[in-house]
Amino acid sequence: MLGEISETTFKWLDERLSLSAVASAAGKKKVPLHKQSFWYYMGGIAMLLLAVQFLTGILLMVYYIPELSSANSSVLFINSQIDFGWFVRSMHSWGANILIFVLFAHMFSAYFMKAYRKPRELTWISGLALLILCFGFGFTGYLLPWDEVAFFATKIGIDIAEQVPLIGGILANLLKGGSEVGQGTLSRFFLLHVIVLPLGLFAIAGIHLLLVQLHGMSEPKSFQAQAPEKKKYEMFFPDFFMKDLMVWLLAFNVLATIVILFPWGVGPEADPFAAAPAGIKPEWYFLGMFQFLKLLPAHIGFIEGEKVGLLIFALIGGIFAAAPFIDKGENPKLSMFFDIYGLMILIGLIAFTIWGYLA
Amino acid sequence: MNYPLWSIPGLGGSWAVGLISVIHVFISHFAVGGGIFFAVTEYLALKRSESNDLTLRHNSEMLYDYLRKHSKFFMMVTTVAGAVTGVGIWFSISLVSPDGTASLIQTYSLGWATEYLFFVAEIATVLVYFYTWDKVSKELHLALAQWYAVLSVFTLIIINGILSFMLTPGGWIESKAWYEGFFNPTYWPSLILRLLVMLAIAGMYSLITSARLKASESEDVANFRAYMLKYSSKWFIPVFLIGPIVGFWFFSQVPQAVITNIFTGIQSSGVGNFSILARAIYLSLILSGTVLVFALVGPYLNPRGFSFGSAVAFLVCGLGVTSMSEWSREMLRKPYVIYNYMYSNGIRKADLETINKDSFAAFSKWEDPDHIGTSMFRQQCMICHTTDGYRSMKKLLGERDLEGIKTFLLMMRETDPEKNSYLNIMPPLVGTDKEVEALAEYLVTLKPVKLGV
Repeated sequence: MLGEISETTFKWLDERLSLSAVASAAGKKKVPLHKQSFWYYMGGIAMLLLAVQFLTGILLMVYYIPELSSANSSVLFINSQIDFGWFVRSMHSWGANILIFVLFAHMFSAYFMKAYRKPRELTWISGLALLILCFGFGFTGYLLPWDEVAFFATKIGIDIAEQVPLIGGILANLLKGGSEVGQGTLSRFFLLHVIVLPLGLFAIAGIHLLLVQLHGMSEPKSFQAQAPEKKKYEMFFPDFFMKDLMVWLLAFNVLATIVILFPWGVGPEADPFAAAPAGIKPEWYFLGMFQFLKLLPAHIGFIEGEKVGLLIFALIGGIFAAAPFIDKGENPKLSMFFDIYGLMILIGLIAFTIWGYLA
Repeated sequence: MNYPLWSIPGLGGSWAVGLISVIHVFISHFAVGGGIFFAVTEYLALKRSESNDLTLRHNSEMLYDYLRKHSKFFMMVTTVAGAVTGVGIWFSISLVSPDGTASLIQTYSLGWATEYLFFVAEIATVLVYFYTWDKVSKELHLALAQWYAVLSVFTLIIINGILSFMLTPGGWIESKAWYEGFFNPTYWPSLILRLLVMLAIAGMYSLITSARLKASESEDVANFRAYMLKYSSKWFIPVFLIGPIVGFWFFSQVPQAVITNIFTGIQSSGVGNFSILARAIYLSLILSGTVLVFALVGPYLNPRGFSFGSAVAFLVCGLGVTSMSEWSREMLRKPYVIYNYMYSNGIRKADLETINKDSFAAFSKWEDPDHIGTSMFRQQCMICHTTDGYRSMKKLLGERDLEGIKTFLLMMRETDPEKNSYLNIMPPLVGTDKEVEALAEYLVTLKPVKLGV
């Protein structure tokens, strides 16, 4: 009886959604097995953490009030009065930080495994766009609790944005929503954080995932060079998927353990008229860039130092993003150049972040 | 306070005991669960060797081969690491909490001695078991496995009475009759719970040795490897089916004040200082859920894809659950080492009034008259706090000045819960006004010196 019902239901859905075709395609998907297979899990972990962000974000919106006099107290209320509110909020805050860390790992692993090469150029670009969107989530979300550190860090962030050549002024005004960081800024950041950025994320993540399905898992050069009989694969369903579930579980555990042992606190409410506390720093993922900008003199030639810094970032990032269009795998020297280039960016990022942290 | 104390700067005594104990628990539980695992698996191997079915007979040969290898790992882990950490516990608790240890020895001298005898017999049996592979009949070898299982379960039966006594001494508080303390309110749920966990831990270790079988050797080995991984994962079924029910039974037997402590912790997890027990329980529950799903989607549903690395990750999760659960159990007793009888700093509840009246110096044999404050700190606080490491006093004192510290300490001396909100997690401070003042003067020296402007 039960079997009959499920068969009829499946048939009904299959006729409308072509489930058999999807199942058949999924059944054919293979995952290469090699020493670097571990990095294939990064995308899955990022997806899990994104799901955690959406779920906890929706729950936080139930009590969060994006209004100057209530923002900080509403977060405090979530943390102290709502049953397990502290857990949801900490999952959201810690999850965001771990997500960005995982995205970095995902990006650099794809880069060093040359996974950006044909036909995956658009997968690479869409991935970078997702990372930038997540930076946007981090920047806008940081201000929402309206606490002292977030307020002044956001002010510094907007000041830096103002230095972007040509569009800096417009960008800063758009973000601030007034002459100073205040209610206008909070409203805009809230809107960006819960509507605009999620819409963008859904669209680009959809494209990214579709492309991943279309092209399958990329095979590193060392694997491609192996004789066909030596190459090992496993089926995506159920073998890799089951392993993916185990990795998700472990990732969730790491997040839950951190959350339980170190719940995310709430700082004192921001006072726009108070002096900025000493040692204000942005979130860790902006810290490397922030430290680099701090080292530049006020003016380099006739251009402001920060403007030059931003131009340098744009140049470095531009070449990094353009890697698939230059390093097509035909020229070994070019390939080596991009390996060293990526390594230098990675080392530079780590070094400046540590420097920024210690400074 | 009859004994001197061991000071471990930074880490603190409780962590030293905790770290050694958790490793020991993980090994000793394997020793008992593993004994049952060997008895059951070898029984299966023997029955299959007698079968007419060729496949089953072949499976039996491979099972014997597996058990032979696994028993070496088992013997090494349980006898060497188990014994070393077991002695380590005695060594550390007798230095960190000598009065508590003395109480346990005095109350259960015969119990400890009996447990030791079972332990020696257990060690002897496992050695005989390992060195008689292929030297005695299959039936006799199986009997050795079964004998080992019985002996190891008996060590649990005894030690469980003493461990659960510390949380729920029951009628012993009044009668001082050992059997009332031994067969205390949490004895049975605790015994069943531990047995279930032991079976799961046996499965967990078996996953490690099964995952090490080389599937690439032949299709035969690959099939057996998958079989063993699935078989090992089934050892988790009892704890996940019966565990929650026994868990509720256990919590229904602990004192109401402990339950209140847990709920206070749940309500104040976001901001409070009283939430550490609740946090340990959350972690324990989350990690237990992980182990269940991990066992299902890993070795049970996808044994061929379950690598040695996954087995190690699984073992780490298992160690996490064990650590958190044992930590939670220890925390349930707070602020006592023997519930309602002796506080965690070794002071008996019955002595509070006398000490406050006479002085702590009269009570303690180790108080240095020239450094009363330091002595008070070492004997009353150091069991849980360090000066600037774990549960750092420097940090906890915050911005309080001498007067602030004194007021706080006087509040800590109160034995009325209405006046001392810390009573449910910390022992009350004892001593005369002069001694409390001396402690405050010592504590204020721990604060960082602020340079004037």
